[in-house]
Amino acid sequence: MCLAVPMQVKSINGFIAHCYAKGITRDVSLFLLQDEIIEIGDYLLIHVGYAIQKISTDEALSTWELLDQLLAEESFNA
Amino acid sequence: MSTEAKRLLDKIRALPLPDKVRIMNVCGGHERSISLAGLRSALPTTIELIPGPGCPVCICPEEDIYQAIQIAINEDVILLAFGDMLRVPVNVPKGTVRNLEQAKAAGADIRPIASPTEAVNIANANPEKTVVFFIAGFETTSAPVAAMIAEGIPNNLLLLLSSRLTWPAVAMLLNTETPTFDALIAPGHVASIMGSEEWHFVVDQHHMPTAIAGFTTESLLSAIYSVLRQGIEHTAFLDNCYPQVVNPHGNITAKKIVNQVFNIIDAPWRGIGIIPNSGLELSMKFDTHNARHRFPIYAEEARKKSGAMPPGCDCAGVILGKIKPNECRLYGETCFPRNPVGPCMVSDEGACRIWWSSGIKK
Repeated sequence: MCLAVPMQVKSINGFIAHCYAKGITRDVSLFLLQDEIIEIGDYLLIHVGYAIQKISTDEALSTWELLDQLLAEESFNA
Repeated sequence: MSTEAKRLLDKIRALPLPDKVRIMNVCGGHERSISLAGLRSALPTTIELIPGPGCPVCICPEEDIYQAIQIAINEDVILLAFGDMLRVPVNVPKGTVRNLEQAKAAGADIRPIASPTEAVNIANANPEKTVVFFIAGFETTSAPVAAMIAEGIPNNLLLLLSSRLTWPAVAMLLNTETPTFDALIAPGHVASIMGSEEWHFVVDQHHMPTAIAGFTTESLLSAIYSVLRQGIEHTAFLDNCYPQVVNPHGNITAKKIVNQVFNIIDAPWRGIGIIPNSGLELSMKFDTHNARHRFPIYAEEARKKSGAMPPGCDCAGVILGKIKPNECRLYGETCFPRNPVGPCMVSDEGACRIWWSSGIKK
């Protein structure tokens, strides 16, 4: 439940960022990062629809590798 | 396994390890990664990896779930909860509703959601209804909930909060005479919000080797290597093995918002009892949104459920790291993911469910 997922910012409108990851787009709240400069192309760590940290591209990609494994395992067990 | 992970494993194998060393993690995400990567079988047998209190759904008090069920059944409301909560059973006589899923089947308007923003949207779309959002979660989840409140929530949205803080549970485990572990892996995403400094007490007050880990095999192995080496060298420091995401002070904006909307309270943990300063409750300013105060009758009734666990269920022992999941009397006997008896078999982050899904039998 505490696991957060990296997504990339595609556009920003106030406290809402339109983000993308793995073919999925979501509107994400930037309210918890309101004191940071967030730009298009940045990677964010998203938890329950809110960005909680800005992260590097490398970190985003290595986290997605892990999540891909977790998802594959889950569909195997389902 | 990556080259880097293999290199770290070799480094761990080359250490002059003691006869037995017990390393606790307090995060369901860590436990899932450990099980997925098969770290227990890859590491030397003298290293025991213990899942601790890392699942907010598992420790959500019976009385709070009972209260949510009663409000959903008896009041004209829409009840919202994160999906994991719907199947967690309470201890009630046969034939009565034992979880939110059954309450939904019996006609209550209960909807699983994945984000606080969905709660706001549902409340706005149903202005004539009272909407109750039942929330269990640790610090990572409490920050978005606090943001939802601070941004301004609809008048018809009430909250039933079962939010908990992680560190007080670890403090409680360390304050017992014989802690069940020798080193700690601290939770990465909790620390991304709260900062690494929050875990300094483990080192300063208890001189226990501690490392903050991320969720990749490499990050977890780095943390395991760090605490093993600290133990061997009879030293203890807080090693941040997840610096890409965790800084000393955390997300300062998020912490400020959390402090504005919540008060810290002594709070019950399922099967464990009250842990001082471990819960969050809405501050007085938001009292009109507190479902406990709007529906006091169920809070009163629910109090009788305080501390109840299903008969034979050893979830409390599992959460405290006193027994392994497969040492529970019910594990794989009457308790399975498809028909769970205890909360640790329900949630994706519950230790019993993770162990069962990774093929560990009784």
